[in-house]
Amino acid sequence: MEQLTNLVISDRDLATISSVLVRLMNDTNAASIMLIDKSGQVVAVQGGSTKRNATTLGALLAGVFSSSREVAKLLDEKDFRNIFQQGVQQNIYTSMVEEQWLLVIIFDRSTHIGLVKVLSKKASDELGRILERVRADTTRAKSSVLNLQFRSSVEDTIDLLFRD
Amino acid sequence: MALINIASREIHCKIVYYGIGYCGKTTNLQYVHKSITPNARGDMLSIATETERTLFFDFLPLDLGTVHGFRTRFHLYTVPGQILYERTRLAVLNGADGIVFVVDSQAEKFEENVQSIAELDMHMRRIGKDMSTFPLTMQWNKRDMPNALPTPVLERYLNRRRVPSFEAVASAGKGVFATLRAISKSVIAQL
Repeated sequence: MEQLTNLVISDRDLATISSVLVRLMNDTNAASIMLIDKSGQVVAVQGGSTKRNATTLGALLAGVFSSSREVAKLLDEKDFRNIFQQGVQQNIYTSMVEEQWLLVIIFDRSTHIGLVKVLSKKASDELGRILERVRADTTRAKSSVLNLQFRSSVEDTIDLLFRD
Repeated sequence: MALINIASREIHCKIVYYGIGYCGKTTNLQYVHKSITPNARGDMLSIATETERTLFFDFLPLDLGTVHGFRTRFHLYTVPGQILYERTRLAVLNGADGIVFVVDSQAEKFEENVQSIAELDMHMRRIGKDMSTFPLTMQWNKRDMPNALPTPVLERYLNRRRVPSFEAVASAGKGVFATLRAISKSVIAQL
């Protein structure tokens, strides 16, 4: 499947995504919830403790998922979509949204995994619909941000920062 | 895949350093981490074996600050170079916006370099990317080695697309930022 070149998340999309994540967090009593792109980029985060390390967590969680997916392929698994990491204090449940995003739920022992699985499936369906809209709007929204002026300013900043 | 978040006014791009084992990918990131202004860098994360070979990937987030109202970030990754880790390389390549192919210039590494770039081509085709337009920069590393092949030879056999290329001695920092500047600009141009 061809990968997207880029994805533009608008204010409206992010507000809808955040409301889905907040509801899921409240209903499951999770500590935090992240929506990440499968390349490791963080789309949205809810929950205090995770926000500080969101960038690193995004890279690692996406790496773990891709790696497990490769393992599943070698075992001839046809449709691998979820990982459950059981920790001493915190558990992590990661599920794939369409083929593009990963929904990550971090929760402790007070939450039952069954509840997390069922509710994350519902949330994934909703997020899948939002993703479809994001994909459709991306080209139009992109041209409003990435104009010539922006590109040349970024180039100047690159010259300024990326040097000895 | 670059992520442009209009709501939080952030742009994230992913750059992957690719190449054979011991060619200097991690050294490139370590030099950037050491030399760049501290407020532009995040923590460097390395998942390595006990002998310090990269097992999964290295990760270094760089922050350009706010440009035209958007906070622009580059996430640098390396892949593990050893042949054994082909599937891991594929996993790290996922969603890359640009690639730096680091070449170990030594004559005895030539064949391995050729195989590695062929493997990269294959992976990119598999994930549906067109290598003729994809942001790619070549780095001829280890130019200080006595058995380094002349760059015209490397250009002829390893840089068929004639993408920008830079001579480097990553362990001394030579060519590291020139490479990073080129790939970053190429990624921004393709957004």
